[in-house]
Amino acid sequence: MNALTIAPGAPVLEAQSLRREYRMGDERVVAVQDVSLSIAAGEYAAIVGPSGCGKSTLLNLLGVIDRPTTGSVRIAGRQVESLSDAEATRFRLLHVGFVFQRFYLMPALSALENVELPMSEAGMARAERRARASELLGYVGLGKRERHRPSRLSGGEQQRVAVARALANRPSLLLADEPTGELDARTGTEMIALLERLSADGTTIVVVTHDEKLARATRRVVHMLDGRVERDEPVR
Amino acid sequence: MLAVLGVAVSAAMLLDMVMLATGMRQSLRSLLLSRGFQLRVAPKGTLPFDTEATLDSTSALAARLRANPDVVSVSPVLGGHVHVRPRSGDGAALTSVALGVESTVQGDYELLNGGDATADDALVVNDAFLAASHRRIGDSLTVAVDYDPQLRAYAGTRLMRLTGRARFLYLAAGQRAVAMPLATLQSLGGAARADRSSLVMVRAREGADVERTRLWIERTFPRSAAISTETAMRQVDERLSYFRQLAFILGSVSLIVGFLLVTTLVTVSVNERLGEIAVLRAIGVARHRVVTQIVLEGVAIMTVATPLGLALGLMTARWLNGILAAFPGLPEAIDFFLFQPSAAWASLGMLAVSGVLAGVYPSWRGASQPIATTLRQEAIG
Amino acid sequence: MLVDARLGTDARLRVGDRLVVSATPGGAGDTVVIAGFESRAADPSEVARSEYRVRLHLDQLQSVTGYGDRVDRFAVKVRDTSVTRAAVDAINAAAFGFRAHRSREIAVETSQTFLVVSRFHRAIGIITIVASAIFLLCIMLLKVDERRRDVAALRLLGISSRTITKSVVVEAALVASLGSVAGAALGAVASAFVNWHYRAVYRTPLAFSILTPRTVAMSVALSLVLGIGAGWLAARRLARTAPLTLFGR
Repeated sequence: MNALTIAPGAPVLEAQSLRREYRMGDERVVAVQDVSLSIAAGEYAAIVGPSGCGKSTLLNLLGVIDRPTTGSVRIAGRQVESLSDAEATRFRLLHVGFVFQRFYLMPALSALENVELPMSEAGMARAERRARASELLGYVGLGKRERHRPSRLSGGEQQRVAVARALANRPSLLLADEPTGELDARTGTEMIALLERLSADGTTIVVVTHDEKLARATRRVVHMLDGRVERDEPVR
Repeated sequence: MLAVLGVAVSAAMLLDMVMLATGMRQSLRSLLLSRGFQLRVAPKGTLPFDTEATLDSTSALAARLRANPDVVSVSPVLGGHVHVRPRSGDGAALTSVALGVESTVQGDYELLNGGDATADDALVVNDAFLAASHRRIGDSLTVAVDYDPQLRAYAGTRLMRLTGRARFLYLAAGQRAVAMPLATLQSLGGAARADRSSLVMVRAREGADVERTRLWIERTFPRSAAISTETAMRQVDERLSYFRQLAFILGSVSLIVGFLLVTTLVTVSVNERLGEIAVLRAIGVARHRVVTQIVLEGVAIMTVATPLGLALGLMTARWLNGILAAFPGLPEAIDFFLFQPSAAWASLGMLAVSGVLAGVYPSWRGASQPIATTLRQEAIG
Repeated sequence: MLVDARLGTDARLRVGDRLVVSATPGGAGDTVVIAGFESRAADPSEVARSEYRVRLHLDQLQSVTGYGDRVDRFAVKVRDTSVTRAAVDAINAAAFGFRAHRSREIAVETSQTFLVVSRFHRAIGIITIVASAIFLLCIMLLKVDERRRDVAALRLLGISSRTITKSVVVEAALVASLGSVAGAALGAVASAFVNWHYRAVYRTPLAFSILTPRTVAMSVALSLVLGIGAGWLAARRLARTAPLTLFGR
């Protein structure tokens, strides 16, 4: 499962006719409908839209966190919508990196241990994962704060640790849900710069955001409204 | 802190109840076997010293018993009460339990100092007797038996010499006791006690089939009952079944309380960290790993609480044992709460298993929440 | 002869059966007819004794045991309780070779065992109360914790910590009241079971567990105090936490 290879220029992510319904009491709510999307290797895309338009739900479907009611998702050539819970968990661990709006670092672990966590779960040897975690923290500019617990890091620093954690197992795809949502203007800008650097280094990134600055920094913006893709355009 | 305290109290109570359920049997067993006698012959239908019934033709009985190749030692004992006149000559006579024994084979007391009751007029006494009578080893005193209130006279009296100080194994703390040669106590009682004994203790040869010897005794002496250690324990067990049942009920209750406590704590902990758990699952940490992690946290609470519980349990056991030690007639050596490593391990084991089981469900439930929904709810608040 | 009902059951005896009674097993005895069966008295000091009892005419027992014209004791009933002391003194002073005791003194002597058991129960009761107080506190913490989002929303709406604490305490009192009523009912059932079980084990009419209005009132009051106390502690913990923290932010 770890040995998925993607031909250059081939799509990393292909979603076909996605639909996701929820039941809220007696009512049926359609969060996402008729969404088809293809993300090529190395692409940097943003999904934008008003609150409740279904962009986070779409991101969860693309990241194999949630299952579509109908439709299919293919990541790095593998059909993922019908994976069992355990298979989906393993797939996310090895192929999808997540960054959340609220960082969600483990409070009892240091920055280094937080980054090591997915590698440890994947069974990587201790010395190897420690070296990689250290390297990743250096990459996101936190080389000197790797022993700090999340409570001793600023919001921007915590989000950078979260990015390093997302990259730990060299995922095919990095998904970020409002990565600047909890940051102030200055740290938000630093986060945008970090994501741009990641994109420039070849990481495939999809972000969900309200942040116009972040959306403008990507190469492609997918506009959503009422669960549908309204517009899909490159950033000029 | 509350969690640790709660689990500690539960562990303490469980330990106490396991100690209560097993300790009494164990200490009774140790007491009965302490002098190596595996069988006790008593008048049929009675337990040793439970009634005033006696065995007749004791010397013949003892001789037949000694003739059995499986028997290595026979110790006849006659029980009764003696009265000692106070030093000054006025006031009420001092009454004491009296045992008539054959000092070379007796299994009723441990001589602490002085000489044993070998001579006809020798008397071995315990500390309670010495304290109440204000006598010392070497003193002479007159002992009497069977006071007849109508005649205001004793059936028999004798001048005796206080030769030794001893600890009587089967008597309660504070109970006054004297031991003298069997023949002396028999003769003090006149014809009514001639050649009689309350009990004959029998030590079987090592490797002998004790049950076979017991059956042989009952066959040979149909008017007597041969009681093995196991039978005696079973009979005492029946009388004290209340305590074992109480221990079982309260032990179960403390186990249930411990179980519910851990369930509660893990549930609160999981509820507080639903977002964290959802993220762990989102980044690919397997559900069983999340569950293991949470259960381990419960186990950690128990690991911290257990030594505290152990100390608390031992303290309360001592307190409760002190209360029950005041039971009238209870041998001093009997402990209701006896600490045995096996009891501690058993209660710890039970608690650990119930703690793990208690933690599994809430943590499994927490780790099985739909990731997307949980993340959305946690984000929205 | 009147025979212990337990012996009657165990030896399958019937009224009218003729038996030989003797002082020693196999010794010379006397033939008697079973006139009836009697149950043991509800005497705590005899509860653990398993031997059987029979009741014979005094002269017959004296003859069978070779006791002559002797008895172990006389029971004396006085005209009224105010003269008991005087009667005891009079007997002790006048009667040759007797010693009189008040029934109450004998009762105290013979009930030592039960005094010990009673002290033991009291100690177990104290331990149980401590354990249940901690348990109640945990349950209340859990119950209140389930409502942390509601409490956070109320706090954000401007409802004071005091009001929230008050409402949680009222709820705790309700839960404790309902719980103690259920507990009292459970206690009554358990008490009936204990009596049924131990009466069968020890074959005695003795009541081992008695549920009195006072014990019910004490347990209800205790659980109310514990429940309210635990609810108050849990509510205070929640009310003192910042609303956004309660939301997990």
